[in-house]
Order: sequence, then structure tokens, then C-alpha cells
Amino acid sequence: MQASIHNSHFILRRLHSLFGLLPIGGFLIFHLWENSQSRYGQLHYNEHVVGWLQGLNYLLLMEIFIIALPLLFHAGYGLVIARGSRSNWRLYPWLHNRFYWLQRLSGIAILLFLLFHVGWTRIWGLWEPAIKIDLFSHMQNLLSDPLFFILYLTGLLLSVFHLCNGLWSMAISWGITTSIEAQRYWFYLCTMLAVILCAMGLHGMLGFVQ
Amino acid sequence: MMDKTIDLDIRRQDTPYSPPYWQAFSIPYREGHNIVSALMAIREQPITRDGHRVDPVAWEFNCMEEVCGACSMIINGHPRQACSTLIDTLEQPIRLEPLSKFPIVRDLMVDRSRIFSDLKKVRAWIEIDGAWDIHEGAPRISPEAWKENYLYSRCMSCGCCMEACPQYGPEKAFIGPDSLAAVRLMNNHPTGSYHKQQRLHAIMADGGISDCGNAQNCVRVCPKEIPLTTAIGELGRQSTLQLLRDLFGKTQ
Repeated sequence: MQASIHNSHFILRRLHSLFGLLPIGGFLIFHLWENSQSRYGQLHYNEHVVGWLQGLNYLLLMEIFIIALPLLFHAGYGLVIARGSRSNWRLYPWLHNRFYWLQRLSGIAILLFLLFHVGWTRIWGLWEPAIKIDLFSHMQNLLSDPLFFILYLTGLLLSVFHLCNGLWSMAISWGITTSIEAQRYWFYLCTMLAVILCAMGLHGMLGFVQ
Repeated sequence: MMDKTIDLDIRRQDTPYSPPYWQAFSIPYREGHNIVSALMAIREQPITRDGHRVDPVAWEFNCMEEVCGACSMIINGHPRQACSTLIDTLEQPIRLEPLSKFPIVRDLMVDRSRIFSDLKKVRAWIEIDGAWDIHEGAPRISPEAWKENYLYSRCMSCGCCMEACPQYGPEKAFIGPDSLAAVRLMNNHPTGSYHKQQRLHAIMADGGISDCGNAQNCVRVCPKEIPLTTAIGELGRQSTLQLLRDLFGKTQ
């Protein structure tokens, strides 16, 4: 008899699920809240939002262990999971079946978006100190282009969907919601969270181009 | 004016390895026909709509009251039982296809033996006897628990939930919603719960519960209205607790 901890399959799936919420989902919420403060203007944003973050001790270690590594695992193992699924939403066009497929598609799209998003800000900032000093103008320049605004809006909507649908699905996988009613009410709560996070993210984006 | 007919388009396949093809049949209309009785009418006169005499269509059926699961097929795009599907409720021409997730034997007949081997993998039975007589009567079950268990006991291994599941397929290890529901049923029986841990370990391996993607098609296509997604949620909780026991030790 094979015990669960002697078979990595179950633990890997649960780690993938857990990382989606903590730390990655938590970071997404923090990130959207942090950038929603763009409305207070260039000076406040650069000094009190970005400046405060960059003044944190052990920042690089936190970035690597709380954000980068869990994200890489979640993305990499997510691709493995997505490869083993086939869409049938045309045959069975129910909401959760569409969302099942969108969860996988959005995962791949978010990965591509993040390559650009992280590259444009954090990675480019490694050898271009002007970006770190005045991130507000850097983002303002980018988001003033309607094409990139739409790209960012897509990235935002897909990320929020992926988190909130993942949260709904996770509650069943971990056995928190079992009855149909509980699953339905949890779905309403996740939808509410999605609306709030989208509003927060959009607010932050508009703050850069106001 | 022509007499009213029942038109069927049937996906056929002569051997497990030959290519599939479609054939159209028309039979005289009769009130109360279901798919099985229509297929029987075709078997009496296996002549296609354009007048060719062909081999009769092969399919499986048994109980004729939606409890054996043998006559599952895809009817107008949806997996269901041929015996309980009335012609009068369907749009014509009626398209009949074999289930797509199982190896085809011939025409509408598929080999569903994988369902049985997956049930064996998860120990979906209750051992009432040991190596000796245990001198104990049948354990009592509360009416509430019995009522819940009954919902799951109606599974007839028809294959509809697996057909609709985007995670289930011939090339994949996932055991499917029906085997998980069987584990839910056996784990909740007082005698069956003796082997709860073995069953949980079986569904915590490759192809087990964590391969479920929560698309929830299974619960919508199940002809017996078994709360499959509730079973998956309950087993999610049981396997979470089992993982904690495996990692950190038991509570007692």
C-alpha cells in the first residue's frame, strides 16, 4: 500500500493549490492595493509607496522566496496540469466547465503577461536606476499608450479571474465546501472578491494616466 | 403524403481498429418508442435510408429501466441511457454515437471494463467477513446517514460522468467521478470504514482525487442525479485530514 506522502503526486498538487493562494494570491491583492495609491500623485507614489517598499530590509530575499520561486513552481506545475486536460465546453457549455477551461488558458496568458510586466519594471530596473527612482513616470509612459493599457487591463482581469476561480475550486479540493449550497455561496463570495479586486486594479491603472 | 418516420443517424464502426462511418436509417413512426426499441426496429429491417441492406447495428442493453447502465451512448450530443430516452422528446434526425472515452468494440458497443478495474484500484467494496467468524451482527446506521449513502448507492457505472469529464480519457490516469463517489459510499459505511485509510491512500495516488479539475460536468450529466461534486468535496476534506495524519501523526 502506497501512503500519500510516499507518492509526490498528491503533495505536489496540493502545494500548487496552496501556493496559488499563499503567497501568490496574497501578493496579487497586496500588489493591487499598493498600486491603487497611484491616485495620490507622482511624489507620494515614488516616495511613500515605491520608496517604502525599496527601503525594506531583506527585500531581495523576500522577492525571491515569497514571490519568484512559488510563482515559478505554480506556473511550471500549472502547465503540467493544463497539458493533461482537454476542453469540451462546446459540448457542455456550463459555467464551471467554461471556467475550468478559462482557468487553464488564463494561466498561460498570465505567464506571458508576467514575462513582459516583470521584465519591463523589475528586471529593466536592475540596470536602469531611473526606473526605480521614478517608477510613476515609467508606468505613466507605458500606460498612456492605449495598446499597453489594454494589455495591462487584460492581464489584470485574467489574473483576478484566475485567483478568484482558483479560490472557488480550491475550497472543493481541500474539502472546505462540500454541499452544493456551500459551493454556490462560496462562488458568490469569490465573485464579489473578483469585482472588488478588478475595481482596485483598474483604479490603480487610471491613477497613472489621470 | 409520406407516413411519419423516425430518422436516425448512427455512427458505426465494424471492428475496434477500422475507421468509423455514418449511416442514416428511417423507421415508421410509432408512439412511445425509445432509442432501444428504435434500434430493435432497425435490427428487424437493417436497411439504410437510401435502400441498402447492411449489417444490423450492434449495441448493448439489458435492464430497460435505467439501472444497469449498459445502454449508455451519446444521443444528440449528450451521454445518457438509450432505454430511458424517449424518441418523442428528441430533435430529429437523432444522432447516435458510442461513448468516446472507452475503446469501441463495434458500432455503439464499447468496452467499459476500465470502470471496473478503477473501482478495484480504490477498493470499492466492503469486507463483511474476516478470516474467521467475528460473531457480530450488521452494524446499525442512522436513518440520516442511510439516506445520504443511498444517493451514492444508485451508481450503475454507466460511464456518463466520465464521458463528460474533461479530465477523464483513455490516455489519462484519472479514475473518474464514479470511483470517487464509490469511495465516499464505502468510507461512510460502518464496516467499510475499516479500510478508509487504504481507500484514501489509493485516491491520493496518481489519477486520484487531485486530478479532478472541478469542471462539475459529472454532476450535471449523471442520470441518477448522484451528488458527485459533494462526494469530491467530502473526499477532499478526508484526504486533507489523511495528509495531516501522514505528515504529523495521528490525533489519538
